[in-house]
Amino acid sequence: MMKMLKLVTCIKQVPMVSELPWDPRTGTLKRNLADGMINPACRYALEAALILKNTYGAEITAITMGSDIAEEVLREAFAMGADRGILVSDPKMAGADTLATSLVLSRAVQTACADFDLILCGCHTSDSETAQVGPQMIEELDIPGVTYVDRLELDGRLLRLQRLSDNFIETLEMELPGLVTITTQRQAPRYVPLAGLQDAFTDKDISRLSLEDLDLDPELTGAKGSPTKIINVFSPTAEKDNIIMKGSARKIVQQLFDQFDDKIGGAIGKDIKDYQESQ
Amino acid sequence: MDFNPCMKHKLVRKTVRDFSEAELGPIAHEIDRDARFPWQVIEKMRVLNYFGLQIPRKYGGAEVDSISYAITIEELSKVCASIGLCVTVHNSVGAQPIKSFGTEKQKECFLPPMASGERIGAFCLTEANAGSDASGVETNAVEVEDGYIINGTKIFVTNGGICGYALIFATMTTGAGKPFTNVFIVEKEMAGFSVGEIEDLCGMRANPVSSLFLEDCKVPFDNCLGQPGSGIKIALTALDSGRIGIAAQALGIAQGAFEAAIKYSKERQQFKKPISSFQTIQNYLADMATEIDAGRLLLYRACALKDENKPFGTEAAMAKLYCSSVANRTTNLAMQIHGGYGYSKEYDVERYFRDAKVTEIYEGTSEVQRLVISRAVLSQHT
Repeated sequence: MMKMLKLVTCIKQVPMVSELPWDPRTGTLKRNLADGMINPACRYALEAALILKNTYGAEITAITMGSDIAEEVLREAFAMGADRGILVSDPKMAGADTLATSLVLSRAVQTACADFDLILCGCHTSDSETAQVGPQMIEELDIPGVTYVDRLELDGRLLRLQRLSDNFIETLEMELPGLVTITTQRQAPRYVPLAGLQDAFTDKDISRLSLEDLDLDPELTGAKGSPTKIINVFSPTAEKDNIIMKGSARKIVQQLFDQFDDKIGGAIGKDIKDYQESQ
Repeated sequence: MDFNPCMKHKLVRKTVRDFSEAELGPIAHEIDRDARFPWQVIEKMRVLNYFGLQIPRKYGGAEVDSISYAITIEELSKVCASIGLCVTVHNSVGAQPIKSFGTEKQKECFLPPMASGERIGAFCLTEANAGSDASGVETNAVEVEDGYIINGTKIFVTNGGICGYALIFATMTTGAGKPFTNVFIVEKEMAGFSVGEIEDLCGMRANPVSSLFLEDCKVPFDNCLGQPGSGIKIALTALDSGRIGIAAQALGIAQGAFEAAIKYSKERQQFKKPISSFQTIQNYLADMATEIDAGRLLLYRACALKDENKPFGTEAAMAKLYCSSVANRTTNLAMQIHGGYGYSKEYDVERYFRDAKVTEIYEGTSEVQRLVISRAVLSQHT
């Protein structure tokens, strides 16, 4: 009998986009004030895992690294259909860059789900956009991996993948075990059922792993183990300018074309000047 | 006493908000304008347990706690009060009486289709000459050899046009005894049952509120709910829970109007400043925020008491009275802040304003809530 497919999804809690409170004075994000949510691409990765589970049968382990409040994203993953939840949490992990994060997550996968078949990560996070953790885990775990996947099918131990790359659709094959990062292009994540949400708090336990459990050198984790240093974070500002055009309608339209031909043409997909001249 | 929402309640709010904003947000204006019930969205809600909120698991429900229930109705109503209404009436006064007063056989028969949303429930007390006076019901039921024959007309039935099960309150008389009220579960296919015209109402226009007609409608013995004569008790018990739902609905409408007012006041420029910089507008917003918060605390207290299996009727009446009044004051101020634009159908506050009013009328008018509260207050101070 074939063994149950073991899937791991790495999910990150990020600040809710609609509630991002920026400090305009310092230009930094007030993370403590923002409600958390599952990073959108991680939610797509979880959905891809759930589709594999529904199609082939699988056990899904959701892993997140963060403080105690990151438990929330694991509860939500349970409500959507994940079977196990692992919270990797240790004050010594604070301030980790992508290298330190991928090391911790890789070790967590090896500790909590050593016989995994496939790891699914979101292709990037909405709060840092580096897209580095998935590829770095591929290196750390020394397994095959494909990034920016938007479709996957399983044929025995062979995973057939599709991704959009430079306007080409690539179809690739990969032997399991491996890792994929999932885009937000294809299968929209399912809504959370309210019964599942109740069960997530009554029927499911979360396992916690600390640095000690992972047998990791503290020098390699958190801020100490992070070669990347953030110099500055700021909110880009878009400036707008109101221009009032005066005169008859014909004159205003002429002025519009004269001054904003490229922008209008871009918006409606036509070269207005060429079109006008051809009339 | 912890005033912070727990992780579960935060997630319930986020879950329902995500759904409402994505599925109801884009159509709320149009279904109100066209008085259209959005079956496509209802289909999506069915599998997400919105129709089995407090129905026990063994009958297919989600069995959520009462604060989760209130949050769900609040978040739905914040986007689309008509659908918040459909869900709360179905769950509270539709399913709750069967859960509380039904026999095991009735629960097994009627609750699973309600939990899945296959059958939407309606609560039919109001008549041309009965409403606040529950004992004035003129619809009558007569016992016959193999069941009951019901005749009468129910009016202003929420979910009337789409209901699968209607809880019909009817008066019965046996021999020379005093008349009493019974409740009957009438199924939409039963001969003699029909739906009247959909009402053309001021607000809640996407909910098909209608009259229901019973003309020699024959109902089997198995469809009579509770003990003979327990109709008034069932009605009052159901309405206690119903008030939690309507308070939550009113709160959602108020919150929606409040958020719209904040957004508009920051965008709208007068005298080269956003109007939110003027003290009058700030005072309005401060009053709205304070009243909404107070209403929410009243509501969650009633929910907490209900979950602890303690009496909660008075507290639910206070929450319903206050939240419905807050909904009306808040939507009025939100429209005032929007000025002429608020009076236009282009902005959502016009819909909120229309939807708010009926929360002071249905499931016990504000006057009836005051009656319930004053009786409790007076009995405590002898």
